[in-house]
Amino acid sequence: MVDLGIVDIREIIRLIKDHYNYDFSTFALTSFKHRLEYIISKNNLTSPESLFRKLSSQPEFFNTFMAQVCVPSSEMFRDPSFWRWLRDEFFNGIEEKQYSNFKIWLPYSISGSELFSLCIFLKELHLLDKVKIISTSFSQENIDLIKSGSYPMKKIEISAENYKRMYGEEELENYFKYEKFDVKRDISLIKDVEFIVDNFEYKNAPKNIKLILLRNVMIYFNPTYQEKVLGIMYDSLTGNGNLAIGLREQIKLNPNPPSFELVSIQESVYKKKLA
Amino acid sequence: MNYKAVIIGGSAGSFQIVTRILNALQPTFPLPLLLCLHRLKHVRSGFVEALSLKSSIPVFEPFDKEQLKPGRAYLAPANYHMFIELANRVALSADDPVNHSRPSIDLSFITAANAYRDKLIGIILSGANRDGAYGLKKVADNGGVTIVQDPKESEVKTMPESALQLTKVDYVYSSDQIIRFLLKL
Repeated sequence: MVDLGIVDIREIIRLIKDHYNYDFSTFALTSFKHRLEYIISKNNLTSPESLFRKLSSQPEFFNTFMAQVCVPSSEMFRDPSFWRWLRDEFFNGIEEKQYSNFKIWLPYSISGSELFSLCIFLKELHLLDKVKIISTSFSQENIDLIKSGSYPMKKIEISAENYKRMYGEEELENYFKYEKFDVKRDISLIKDVEFIVDNFEYKNAPKNIKLILLRNVMIYFNPTYQEKVLGIMYDSLTGNGNLAIGLREQIKLNPNPPSFELVSIQESVYKKKLA
Repeated sequence: MNYKAVIIGGSAGSFQIVTRILNALQPTFPLPLLLCLHRLKHVRSGFVEALSLKSSIPVFEPFDKEQLKPGRAYLAPANYHMFIELANRVALSADDPVNHSRPSIDLSFITAANAYRDKLIGIILSGANRDGAYGLKKVADNGGVTIVQDPKESEVKTMPESALQLTKVDYVYSSDQIIRFLLKL
């Protein structure tokens, strides 16, 4: 296995910034290194230099790189208690008329697991047609992958267990189509989702969002960029919009904007605090 | 020698010895103690409480990017990998399991070895698979101290034996010897 040194990683960051204008110095170093080593092995490269060469001389490889470098969500319905909270506490408290302009944003869709989970969840609550879902990815390749419905077989078991623990209404399998060598998620679930391509600056961030799902995403960023992303989320949320992050992530409760207050400490949900 | 951290990996059969270690340490223990123990991914509470019961030092499941402090134990949270960043911080990851494990002992050990180099003490305890063997090798490659619980004493031998196969470790210790070693730090 190739073991990248810090000099190699800096060189890769510089190269990508120069050629493609994505700034990976915003990423947390250890998980970025782990991911780069994964890419080297997955693409049968043998050295850091071979990755440098491919990145600088093959622009089409950069699309593959982008689709592989970000960590996809680990499974569908991760942390079933969060989804139960979302159903019993959050959506239970929302009045019918509030759905007239109810936008949910997923700012970091890599494999679409969180997105499909959300769509199944909303469908069972009979809310899928009432809300607007926006999904941002960092490459068109990610969006194409999500829209294909493709899903790794090895993650189905854990996803189905999670779904059962959430007390879903159906069998999770009903949302999959088994093909010869592959399994596909039911893409009719995402037919009304708006897909956006963006870069790490989030220039195309949507506004007036009621709920953002950003669970276990900021763990891949360094503390400086985490702060910046929180500012972007703050600007995108409506007055008392909610932000869900991962269970072992936390937001400092600053007195000054962009500031958030806790909604559920167990499920790591915050809401925008108005100045 | 000025060590910066101790990291312990274990799985089946390691709970009791980890409890004894936590009980024996003094609140003045000069280093952060990193614990990467296999656990059920969907049971997120109860483990840190069980370890805390008889511990003489506080046991935490760290938040992402939390700064590591001496005299505290940090338990890899359920369903996350626990990486160690260069600036003495934890970085969590929900990346794919390695050898069916998340948290992966290998990944915690590899990143800790990168961060602390020869200032790290790595300990592998009882366990039922090979996770941790490669990680302990990385600790050795970086000049850190390597200790493996004596397989003769381990409840489940696979993990310590796999570590011993891959690396010429510094010490093969009984649990009493591991505790004595840590108390001298």
